Amino acid sequence: MRFMELGGGGRGTDVTREAGILRSAMAEVHVIGQIMGASGFSESSLFCKWGIHTGAAWKLLSGVREGQTQVDTPQIGEMAYWSHPIDLHFATKGLQGWPRLHFQVWSQDSFGRCQLAGYGFCHVPSSPGTHQLACPTWRPLGSWREQLARAFVGGGPQLLHGDTIYSGADRYRLHTAAGGTVHLEISLLLRHFDRYGVEC
Amino acid sequence: MTLNLGVFLVSRLGYKKYEHVLCTLKVDSNGVITVKPDFTGLKGPYRIETEGEKQELWKYTIDNVSPLAQPEEEEQERRVLKDLGLHLEFWFGLFPQLYGRHKEYLSSLVGTDFELTVPGALRLFVNGEVVSAQGYEYDNLYVHFFVELPATSELTISGLWLSDWSSPAFQQLSGVTQTCATKSLGMDKVAYFSYPFTFEAFFLHEDESTDALPEWPVLYCEVLSLDFWQRYRVEGYGAVVLPATPGSHTLTVSTWRPVELGTVAELRRFFIGGSLELEDLSYVRIPGSFKGERLSRFGLRTETTGTVTFRLHCLQQSRAFMESSSLRKRMRSVLDRLEGFSQQSSIHNVLEAFRRARRRMQEARESLAQDLVSTSGALVS
Repeated sequence: MRFMELGGGGRGTDVTREAGILRSAMAEVHVIGQIMGASGFSESSLFCKWGIHTGAAWKLLSGVREGQTQVDTPQIGEMAYWSHPIDLHFATKGLQGWPRLHFQVWSQDSFGRCQLAGYGFCHVPSSPGTHQLACPTWRPLGSWREQLARAFVGGGPQLLHGDTIYSGADRYRLHTAAGGTVHLEISLLLRHFDRYGVEC
Repeated sequence: MTLNLGVFLVSRLGYKKYEHVLCTLKVDSNGVITVKPDFTGLKGPYRIETEGEKQELWKYTIDNVSPLAQPEEEEQERRVLKDLGLHLEFWFGLFPQLYGRHKEYLSSLVGTDFELTVPGALRLFVNGEVVSAQGYEYDNLYVHFFVELPATSELTISGLWLSDWSSPAFQQLSGVTQTCATKSLGMDKVAYFSYPFTFEAFFLHEDESTDALPEWPVLYCEVLSLDFWQRYRVEGYGAVVLPATPGSHTLTVSTWRPVELGTVAELRRFFIGGSLELEDLSYVRIPGSFKGERLSRFGLRTETTGTVTFRLHCLQQSRAFMESSSLRKRMRSVLDRLEGFSQQSSIHNVLEAFRRARRRMQEARESLAQDLVSTSGALVS
């Protein structure tokens, strides 16, 4: 692959020349971090499907919005480490719909079958800096028959619509069990929010 | 610099499956062209082998044959881009050249207006989640929470209660989490909810006469447990004031539940279910119907139960914050700042001199008064 530059921009030009006129720059948010791993699950050999969900006023400028980590089996200790990178750049027109991270933690057994271990959720923090987040997870419980089947054969109920993880509607009908915790380290960079009077 | 490239596709008319892509060119908004695969140069030619009846081998090379741009052409192009950037800058307020194009791309995506608050209003925006509940007696817990906006204690002429706080009409101020079966974590049994909620409120300071600090909204929560026979028991009540500073906060709310004297109530709660409940949840802090100076809770018996953890990310928005930051920028020049200080210091010097002179006068008067009788009307006070 070869990269070439079109035009004279970028080479020795003064890009920091300031105009005296008022600039209307967009408010931007950089989310840079990693999904470190998970602990507290009864199963080992875990992998995580993660995604980020924002409101309508937000636009993803660069970065992948969702992904899946590798399967990790802890050899020492009980924490499974993924160190999966998250690198996103958003531009926004409003505070509504602040980005939310949601996770689905699955376990894979020796036969290659995948079983749901937990659903988790956390808001992306709104203050700049580095944050260590521990997101607890839960998994839906079925009837006692389904629980017995899950113990022996595997499988188990899953959510039909993934957006229940990050929206609160209709949650009260669910009966769930507590799962483990997903550990994240997220650094946040906010730009131009002070122009619009936002204190964070 | 200009590039002349040709892309050739090996294809027979109508046979789509015999098409092979030789070279892909990508141009992005920053003016970077990506050529994939790279120019052959010193490496051997690229090979394509076709499948089918006739197995053919095609070799091709990609060369960069564009002439180097003359420095005058480069300068002209740079000037054109600068002018374009200036023009855009005038209308959109953007940087010229590279940044100009980037900003144009951004604003085309999102739009140019960030929503602002009404002047004089403070907007409180909270992204929160009910994280977990721990330390409770029974299993299968769920949390019912709601946010209460404070009302000022003023009665208007029309008989309505005035409130400085308001929230948008579609705002849901309460929520119920799912029912979660607990698991053991160390000594405690813990239930994980991860229930998201977003809360938004506006504070408009109508009444200028009161100097009191504004009251902040309160988050009330109630923990209940659901058992096998679908009976529910109250496990605890708690309340916490929303944080007044923006940032990330992890709040742990300790809860209590009301109990009755004697063992009968507890036995009933254990066997049949049902317990004492609060009619008005705001009793946890200050009851809504409370008027007076001293709140007495004498007679209420409670038992401490577990804790609920909330994680809140608070943002505050107001035009007042905008003004202060722009004022700060205007005062950026050191000379401006020094000038201000010098004015202040000169006024200060004058006042100091006056005070000193006055003191000397007074001392002189006192010392003289003992000697002279006040026949001299020449003393000026």
